[in-house]
Amino acid sequence: MTGININKNSVILAVLVVLLLLLPMVVTKPYYLHVIIICLLWAYLASCWNIIGGFAGQLSLGHGIYTAIGAYITVILFNTFGLSPWLGLFVGGGAAILLSLMIGYPTFGLRGAYYALATVAISEGIVVLLNNTGSIGRFTVGGAEGLIVKSVGSSAAAFQFNSKIPYYYIVLIMLFLIIFIAKWIKESKLGYYLVALREDEDAAAAMGINVRHNKLIAGAISAFFTALGGVFYAMLIRYLEPNAIAGASMSTQMVFLAIVGGSGTVLGPVIGGILLALISEIIRFYLGGQLMGLHLFIYGMIVLLMIIYQPRGIIELFEKIGRRFSRKHNDEGGRSGAEDPSGA
Amino acid sequence: MQKTLLELSDLSIKFGGLTAVNRLNLKINAGEAVGLIGPNGAGKTTAFNLIVGVHQPTVGKVIFDEEDITGLAPHVVCRKGIGRTFQVVKPFGKMTVLQNIMVGAFVNTSKKSEARLIATEIMEKMSLQGKRDYLAQNLTIPERKRLEMAKALATQPKLLLLDEVLAGLNQTEIEEAVQLIKTINRDGITILMIEHVLQATMAICSRIVVLDYGKKIAEGSPQEVTSNSEVIKAYLGDEYENADS
Repeated sequence: MTGININKNSVILAVLVVLLLLLPMVVTKPYYLHVIIICLLWAYLASCWNIIGGFAGQLSLGHGIYTAIGAYITVILFNTFGLSPWLGLFVGGGAAILLSLMIGYPTFGLRGAYYALATVAISEGIVVLLNNTGSIGRFTVGGAEGLIVKSVGSSAAAFQFNSKIPYYYIVLIMLFLIIFIAKWIKESKLGYYLVALREDEDAAAAMGINVRHNKLIAGAISAFFTALGGVFYAMLIRYLEPNAIAGASMSTQMVFLAIVGGSGTVLGPVIGGILLALISEIIRFYLGGQLMGLHLFIYGMIVLLMIIYQPRGIIELFEKIGRRFSRKHNDEGGRSGAEDPSGA
Repeated sequence: MQKTLLELSDLSIKFGGLTAVNRLNLKINAGEAVGLIGPNGAGKTTAFNLIVGVHQPTVGKVIFDEEDITGLAPHVVCRKGIGRTFQVVKPFGKMTVLQNIMVGAFVNTSKKSEARLIATEIMEKMSLQGKRDYLAQNLTIPERKRLEMAKALATQPKLLLLDEVLAGLNQTEIEEAVQLIKTINRDGITILMIEHVLQATMAICSRIVVLDYGKKIAEGSPQEVTSNSEVIKAYLGDEYENADS
């Protein structure tokens, strides 16, 4: 049964990949492609958050600081020295890792909400800092007015393209990469350790797991890839505004998408990210101009309903449908599927 | 002469004004099965927590396998070769039985296939193979107790600390568990167990240590301990001290 299933799944996967690769040929309007890029970026960011928030169960409410630090450092290095964003993103990503260790080291040893509180406090602090820092020495930060990415026309080396198509393929590769990494973590010793410490820290420690160490590793991986998302955002929009890139809306959005999609699973945050971002964009498109905030209100209601009626995430709904489908085709397909928590 | 595996010397801890464990001295030889009994609040679980590093002792030392492990963190102590179970079982609810056990097996390997092999062997030993793919949160109490032991065993310890693994089981289940623990001991794993079910403790252990108010009040064979007047007093009160005479 599993053999058939794997084959069926890989066929579905292959078809999906081909469709995604061909998408820009069908969707030719830049606006629609832009919306799709944003959806994929949210799916990517939710998957990044999921590594520390879902697998390890550490509620980070300040992941916006990692998108911000990645984006700002890369853009400042590019604007000041002309350093290619492709290289700058490693500096930004490295800085995000350092920041995650600085937040994690003192708080991961504690129980309860301390980590969540620390992430909120630090992210609020960083938004204020960014809003009030015009420049540091010769580095222009931009303050509340924001920071514009120096335009050099279409240049692959400078991560700047006039067409949306390259951005689409870049974000698609990023999304595949993070799905691959999430799957690899989930199946590895690290993944087992993260879920174990999420379920019970004392029992995990008694079984030889260095709880703080493993949380720090998960936090660093999550921070690095979140920072890359920030760099992509910066090069796509070419304008950084503190509240947008580091603010609470950025941070909480990642959490929402991952939880609504199914935190702790590999594909949940991807599904949540694409679906919710799409819904949000559609509502904004049709209702955005009518009544101030109406689209946000409706979006909030949808999130609320999903959390009430599908608390384990949309992914569970997909799994149920998939299971019913395979059961219909195969009589023995009951138990092992029903009891497997790793699912997707 | 038998090799000493675990040695506690003058082990003590104070919580504020309360001395929960008071100058506890204890030697356990490799291969032995020792019972640790005493009334509620005698400091049995606290003694376990001192050994594995959950609490830091105020005074005293823990020597394991000729090495001073006093105050090392729980995950380090586990890797030195001490496995422990919890009085209130702590399964990883959202993982399957096999995955639960594999977590322990990862102490000695980083390969998933090897961990699965070790875990499968232990799962069969603990008669949990029928529940292989069940989520731990869906197990019954006796199954959870067996899983608790399986998780500790998966770390391949030299010394296994069992904290009331028989509590809450019925007579048949106790007998099965006793046989299981005896098998584990016969396979070469030294056992120190906290237990209230005295009959079972006597069936497993060659030596019993009695704690009361954090102090060791008696030590010896099951017969010696149960006829000790201090022990009877601790369990039943002063007026029973001379009940026999």
